[in-house]
Amino acid sequence: MRSRFTALWLLLPAALVLAALFAYPMYQLGLISVLDFTQAQVSGGQPTRFVGLDNYTRLLGDGQFWSVLLATVGFAAACVIATLAVGAALAVLLTRVSRIPRLLLSLAAMAAWAVPAVSGSTVWMFLFDTDLGFVNQLLGLDGYNWFYGRYTAFALVGAAVVWAAFPFVMVTLYAGISAIPGSVVEAAALDGASTWRAFWQIIVPMLRPVLAIVVIQSIIWDFKIFTQIYVMTRGGGLAGQNLTLNVYAYQQAFASSEYGLGSAIGVVMMLILLAVTLLYLRTLRRSGEPL
Amino acid sequence: MRLRLATAAALALTLTACAPSTSSPSGTPSDGGARTGTLKVWLFDEPNRAPKEKVVQEAVAEFTASHPGTSVDVQYIAVDTRSERFKGAFNDPGSAPDVVEYGNTDLPEYAAAGGLADVGAIADADLTADARASATYEGTLLGVPWYLGVRALYYRTDVFQELGLKVPATLAEVTTTARTIRTKKPELFGLAVGGKYTYAAMPFVWAHGGEITDLDSAPARAGLRAYTDLIKPDNCPPQQCADLTGGKTVDLFASGKAAMGILGNFNRAAVDAGAAKGKYAVVPLPGVTAGSVAPAFAGGNNLGIMKNAQRPALAADFLTLLASKKYQARMYDAMGNLPTLKSASDEVAGQDPFVKPFLDTIAAGTKFVPLDPGWGKIDAGAVLPTMIEKVATGKATVEQATADAAQQIDAALTK
Amino acid sequence: MRRVLDTLAVAIAVVVVFPIYWMVLAAVKPAGEIQSLHQRPWTLAPSLDAFRRVLAVNDFGRYFLNSLLVALVVVAISGVLAFLAAVALTRFRFRLRTTVLVLFLVAQMVPVEALTIPLFFLVRDLGALNTLGSLMLVHTAFTLPFAIWMLRGFVAAVPDELDEAAQLDGASRFTVLWRILFPLVAPGLAATSVFSFIHAWNDFLFARTFIISATGNQTLPMALLVFFKPDQNDWGAIMAASTLMTLPVLVFFLLVRRRLVAGLGGAVKD
Repeated sequence: MRSRFTALWLLLPAALVLAALFAYPMYQLGLISVLDFTQAQVSGGQPTRFVGLDNYTRLLGDGQFWSVLLATVGFAAACVIATLAVGAALAVLLTRVSRIPRLLLSLAAMAAWAVPAVSGSTVWMFLFDTDLGFVNQLLGLDGYNWFYGRYTAFALVGAAVVWAAFPFVMVTLYAGISAIPGSVVEAAALDGASTWRAFWQIIVPMLRPVLAIVVIQSIIWDFKIFTQIYVMTRGGGLAGQNLTLNVYAYQQAFASSEYGLGSAIGVVMMLILLAVTLLYLRTLRRSGEPL
Repeated sequence: MRLRLATAAALALTLTACAPSTSSPSGTPSDGGARTGTLKVWLFDEPNRAPKEKVVQEAVAEFTASHPGTSVDVQYIAVDTRSERFKGAFNDPGSAPDVVEYGNTDLPEYAAAGGLADVGAIADADLTADARASATYEGTLLGVPWYLGVRALYYRTDVFQELGLKVPATLAEVTTTARTIRTKKPELFGLAVGGKYTYAAMPFVWAHGGEITDLDSAPARAGLRAYTDLIKPDNCPPQQCADLTGGKTVDLFASGKAAMGILGNFNRAAVDAGAAKGKYAVVPLPGVTAGSVAPAFAGGNNLGIMKNAQRPALAADFLTLLASKKYQARMYDAMGNLPTLKSASDEVAGQDPFVKPFLDTIAAGTKFVPLDPGWGKIDAGAVLPTMIEKVATGKATVEQATADAAQQIDAALTK
Repeated sequence: MRRVLDTLAVAIAVVVVFPIYWMVLAAVKPAGEIQSLHQRPWTLAPSLDAFRRVLAVNDFGRYFLNSLLVALVVVAISGVLAFLAAVALTRFRFRLRTTVLVLFLVAQMVPVEALTIPLFFLVRDLGALNTLGSLMLVHTAFTLPFAIWMLRGFVAAVPDELDEAAQLDGASRFTVLWRILFPLVAPGLAATSVFSFIHAWNDFLFARTFIISATGNQTLPMALLVFFKPDQNDWGAIMAASTLMTLPVLVFFLLVRRRLVAGLGGAVKD
């Protein structure tokens, strides 16, 4: 069973699927991004034209693109940090509480995790609805529109995102912590290390591989948030104030028929994600973690 | 250097050669396609759709009775995402519906995309000339006008009487009246306006002498300022109104939360279904000077047949039925849609005083969006709503917002 | 101290579960209470009207089955493919192994939303637009990289000696793979499949882009958005539809909960 031949056979089906539905479309994405590709080309029978980097120069010269890019990065970073902080804090909390509260909290988290993004978005919208929302009525904020301000709208969408995303972090980290043998922690305690120091010097280093996965996944997921923004802010909010790259690309392509421009945005987004993740992988390698 | 250029050119050629295949819509099957099976129909979703649905169901029942072996699958398309749906249908011939309702502003874009079939052969000779013109693009009739829609000023007679208000005679008076109402009755909006309600904003621009194609001119700016001044706490606070669509303002007026609204004849059913029933009247939206009328947007929807339709013959039959005098009159009764057939229109005007302010508005002269395939892009890209919302939320001044919008419109139209 | 923490944990659990409670509550509230400007966190007159509206008027059951079918097919195919690939990546040492691993990680990074554009044309050229098959196809691909990544840990957790011994006993490669490894990895596969399931079940972007006019082939998320009206949102129906949409995932989650926790812990120990 140890021949290289077999390994290739085993990999082949997955590789084929990924080549056809990932690699090829990615190539096409790059291709469309250097073409003049609008509705007239797609269905109007006009010839496509190679325009070089025109789509990119148009994009980089567009003030809105930069503002959307900045918002995307800021929003994703905030979501990642909040998700990790909440998830990690609750994972530690789980190790410290009795059985019943632990069960309740993990069941609640599982439930939040299970709620599909579209349903989750609609529930949060309803909770924060201007007139009929429970939150406004509870706080006495009659007629306050959470989606009016750019930052309140982002904050609300962010809350919905964190609510759905922290359970993954919590469960994974909790599983990681539980896997650390109790003797290690006890030994540290015997050596006179305080709980705090034991945590940072023993537990955190042992958790590093787990943390790596959790961080990478959070970055990947949060940078690509589409559904919550699209549903909750109705496709980008007031005057497009809550647009993120994903939604922006989609609208350029499918609403404005600028398939070339939309593809260029997609390429830019992919490059950013690649850069972030590769950077992270490199620091991991430097610190000697196996992949 | 020359070699490099040649390589680049060659590369460009290969790149283009393997771009995603494009398609020209296949022509209509010359034999008219299958005479049985399911006919796919797309109609617009509307505020308070039930009466429309009921009339359409009657038409479907009549159609299937006279065409054995057929059924009709009617889908109601959300207006704000219609562009994506239609383009999907143009892009994939296999997915196209047969009969579609579309807004007359979308005509140039759909025509340029090659999506609509020539319906010159089945259109009723009785169509008014204006209506026929509104569905004609570059000499070809690409749809049968189904109804006309213009907007006018709805106001609550009981509120006006209680506060001793006069019906406003100028746009400036509309604003002052709206503010008075809000001051005296803070639970009401004076005039329901919305940042996404372009067709309420444009009459302000037109009345001041502006045009869509020169939004950064002084008259257009004055008009926009007049409109956005209404999205203020003293009439319709931006928190609530900045992102309202036309449909939501209909709802506000109908449910009695606004004392005035700029609504269309086609919103009658929705208003009559709400708390405002029987307590309102309609006048043409006044212009800048007393006695003038602000030019209204000449709205209207057409029924078309997709070039990709699989059952064009059946589609033509269904379209003819739905656009017939009988169902135009039914739709008027149900929704308040103004008929496009002259005979039906005359009949309605003779019987029902409700249509008078709308006919007066039409008589005073209406305006239209630029007849250009680029308009669809401006519309789908929400250029005008974004402009209004920016001003209403204080993100930009009227000057900045109009300059941005004018630039985007220029770019889209000159292409 | 522990009592304080216990109380805190329970309080957080309540906050976390509250939106779900509110969703179910709104789904069973009578219409009048939903429109009320004084929402109460309970209802004395629960009604199933909203569910009836959703199920009867809008053919929701059909969309439910469509979504379920897509998700299950995706889970099955991507599970099998991921299992094979994970075996290759853990049981074999070959050149480029690390490269392949990194490629799978990179594949997860691709913003699939950006691929809507080329995939739209690809699927169109296959003539598969408007069909559920198109959704199965793309979601199988999208769920594969993460499934492989996660399954690796489960495969690695099965001791090497086991399949070596079986092979010494004369078992064929095929037998080792399906009779010995597969059953041992199956619990992990169940945990992994939750992710694939959620992914396929949640998708609304591809559903709205690919399913253009075939009403019969809509999936749940699109059907849900139908209740957002141009004038008044029918919140009762929206919440009832959301509840129905959440149920299967919740059941799935609770079923594999323990394995999921063990799996995530195991996957990262590697």
